[in-house]
Amino acid sequence: MKKPRFGKIPGVLVAGAGILLLLPLAGLDVFLLDVLTIGFLTAVYAGSWDIVGGLAGQISLGHALFFGTATYACALLTSLLGWPFPLAAGAALLLSTAAGAAVGALSAPLKGPFVALLTLALGEAAHEFFLGQTFFSPKGAYSWGGEGGIPVQLGIPSVSPWTAYYAALAFLLLCTWIMLRIARSETGLIWTALSGSELSARASGVDIQRHKRLAFVVAAALAGAAGVGYAACVGRATADDFSLELSFQAATFAAVGGRGTIVGPILAALLFHPLLQGTGIPPAGRVLLYALALLITLRFFPAGVAGTLRERARARRMTGRKGNGR
Amino acid sequence: MNPIAQVLVDGIFTGASYALMAAGLALILGVVKVVNLSHGAFFTLGAYVAYVLESRGVGNPLAAVLMAAVIAFAFGVFLGKSFINPVRSHPFSVAVGSLGFAILFEQAAQMLWGPHTLSIDLGAPIAVVGGVTLRRWGVISFIVSLGLLGGLSLLLSRPWGLPLKLIAEDEEIAGSVGMDVEKIRYLTFGAASSVAAVAGALLAPAATITPTMGRVPLILSLIVVIASGMEKVWNIFFLAVGLGLLSNVSAYLFAPHWSYVLLLAVICLLLVFRPKGLAGAGPVRDY
Amino acid sequence: MSDLLLADRIVKSFGTNRVLRGVTIGIGRGEVVGLFGPNGSGKTTLANIITGLARPDKGRILFEGKDVTDMSMDARFRAGIARTFQIPDPYPSLTVLESVRVALLCGEAARKETEGEGPGFQENLDSLLVRTGLFAQRFWPAAKLSQGCLRRLEFARAISCRPRFILLDEVFSALSAKDEAELVALMRSLHREEDISFLLISHNPLILEELCDRVVAIEDGRVFWEGKPGDLAKYVPSAHHAHGDEGENHEGG
Repeated sequence: MKKPRFGKIPGVLVAGAGILLLLPLAGLDVFLLDVLTIGFLTAVYAGSWDIVGGLAGQISLGHALFFGTATYACALLTSLLGWPFPLAAGAALLLSTAAGAAVGALSAPLKGPFVALLTLALGEAAHEFFLGQTFFSPKGAYSWGGEGGIPVQLGIPSVSPWTAYYAALAFLLLCTWIMLRIARSETGLIWTALSGSELSARASGVDIQRHKRLAFVVAAALAGAAGVGYAACVGRATADDFSLELSFQAATFAAVGGRGTIVGPILAALLFHPLLQGTGIPPAGRVLLYALALLITLRFFPAGVAGTLRERARARRMTGRKGNGR
Repeated sequence: MNPIAQVLVDGIFTGASYALMAAGLALILGVVKVVNLSHGAFFTLGAYVAYVLESRGVGNPLAAVLMAAVIAFAFGVFLGKSFINPVRSHPFSVAVGSLGFAILFEQAAQMLWGPHTLSIDLGAPIAVVGGVTLRRWGVISFIVSLGLLGGLSLLLSRPWGLPLKLIAEDEEIAGSVGMDVEKIRYLTFGAASSVAAVAGALLAPAATITPTMGRVPLILSLIVVIASGMEKVWNIFFLAVGLGLLSNVSAYLFAPHWSYVLLLAVICLLLVFRPKGLAGAGPVRDY
Repeated sequence: MSDLLLADRIVKSFGTNRVLRGVTIGIGRGEVVGLFGPNGSGKTTLANIITGLARPDKGRILFEGKDVTDMSMDARFRAGIARTFQIPDPYPSLTVLESVRVALLCGEAARKETEGEGPGFQENLDSLLVRTGLFAQRFWPAAKLSQGCLRRLEFARAISCRPRFILLDEVFSALSAKDEAELVALMRSLHREEDISFLLISHNPLILEELCDRVVAIEDGRVFWEGKPGDLAKYVPSAHHAHGDEGENHEGG
């Protein structure tokens, strides 16, 4: 059997990137550009979930916690404390990474379903907290919080949608590259091992809890980065940034795209986000379509699209084998 | 009128229905081996069936229960056959897919009946004992819950329940002794879903009926099943009743919003500090 | 002679079931000690305690003079205590090469801390695979290997950390004669060339006789007899009936 090569995937990615780069030139209207811009950030968010939920196998149902921490930090630090945006962004990134460390520390000793339950509870607790929390502007003139949200002061005059689009796209490409490198690194291999067989990993000298914590930290940092980008693009942080829907979305994109493939969840987010936000179909119809698409995709691609394709490729490589393992 | 006692009693009745849901979820987890996130949607289905019947003049709760059970069973079997069974080799995808079905249902319900809250008649009180009004929905919930759970407990301890237990233990062996594992799986899924709908129909008079009403019962049932395991039916019953009590009391003392937060806080504390009973959640230390 | 590894008066109960009632076993440098016993005698529980999968209620595990009783399994692996599993649990999505790489990575990391930079990593990986006869299958999914190859993979994993002690849990059971012979040869060469001590758990007296310097028989949670492998059948009645049973990785063996 020959050494397996990566084959088709990089080609698809390059083609996709090319399309995205050229799309605005095709004369899309501004609304669609905005939707796609947010879609790029959602894709980074989805990929970040795959680090901890797909590679390391720790199913987190509270991923929005890291995202919301970043958006709220950006909003509060710029609006309440008057920090310049770059500084606030850095702090926001640090805060979400710290949140990842905390959640990781709490979750690492727990078994599968309990990790899901704890992360769900933590995410929802943060959601409920910020839903009810009101903040006052420095001069006491405005009160912010809850669903109305808190504004983010970018400190620069408004950015054209085209600039935002390309900035977000560059961010997506950069983060995708980072995540793929991580997935193919030694740490990525160890994560795959521990999510495949914890027993064998332990007997191979893998410090399970340490690596689980690390997965949360890395995933939270990337989700936080997506949150910072989102805060900059949308200009507002709302309690919805912590919502259960957002947390579930991450898991859903991973399921549909292919848990553990990184590319799968990213592509799923890129496809589904515009569907949910931006087509001419009325909201109710959009959700119906989304749910149907979800069900049909999973029915025919049980491991997600990329995941099922990968499994089939592996199976094909095996058919050249004869005998019983010699 | 004794408000605290009323809240307690109503909490017990509510908890009894949650116990039904939790038992169904446990059954699906044990036999079909999937985490079913559409369970809450079936609960909601039951409530809407009760509403539709009542709005057409059929106010009998048992009729609602029966109708809900039949409709949910049909839907459950369909879902089991068309999605759950084929995708079973990937439990995560099944969980997400069941969530998708729940979303689908919530949307459909919203389109059919609107997002506003609906309600049905609470029904005449059956008795007033010590300042506590026992209403029809509560008494029937309790009786039906005890009955169905008792039946389940009986089923699992008798030869009839053996196929279920065997499939839960080892599907390969079950298949090799000639059991139609696929069929039992989707039938179980249908049955458990109909039980969730029964719970919804039972609680409908006391609840505010909205498309998303099934979410909290789903989370509560998940907690019950995860905390009490899948084996002991009566553990499930008592834990569910306890949670029903807790959520009712805290909703009364604080606001429903805070009742939810309290629940979340309790979960977090339990999982972080892991008292003796929850030790199974922790690192696998002993073989 | 001070022991390389000593299990000192190990007591372990699961609920009301007293599985180990004060077992003491010592393995010296370069020794191959056999552990014999029927199902339920406590062999697997003892194995789990020695390698860190479980903690004893009473007693200690001493390795190279240090008390490792509270050390986690992975820390013990890095310290030089390895084990094979009776029923291997291969990584479902990794190839043979990747599976061994995981163990080598952790072994390497531990070694770098104590010895400094070692020879080329890829070299190590390849030589490990060649050593255990898995080089030809290195790109196959680990989960698709035959039982014989899975046992070899267990060996490859176990020796990646350059252990001083390996616990072999029924590694020769339920194999074809050919697979068994090749695995025996592998073990022998490891013993000779690497100076590794072994604790060999087996219910097969023939294997024990062929490979062990000394055999310990346990029954009902206690050490029943200890002596030369050739005398096993004389002193241990159950040795007459020993034949292929499966057993598990977890309690009960």
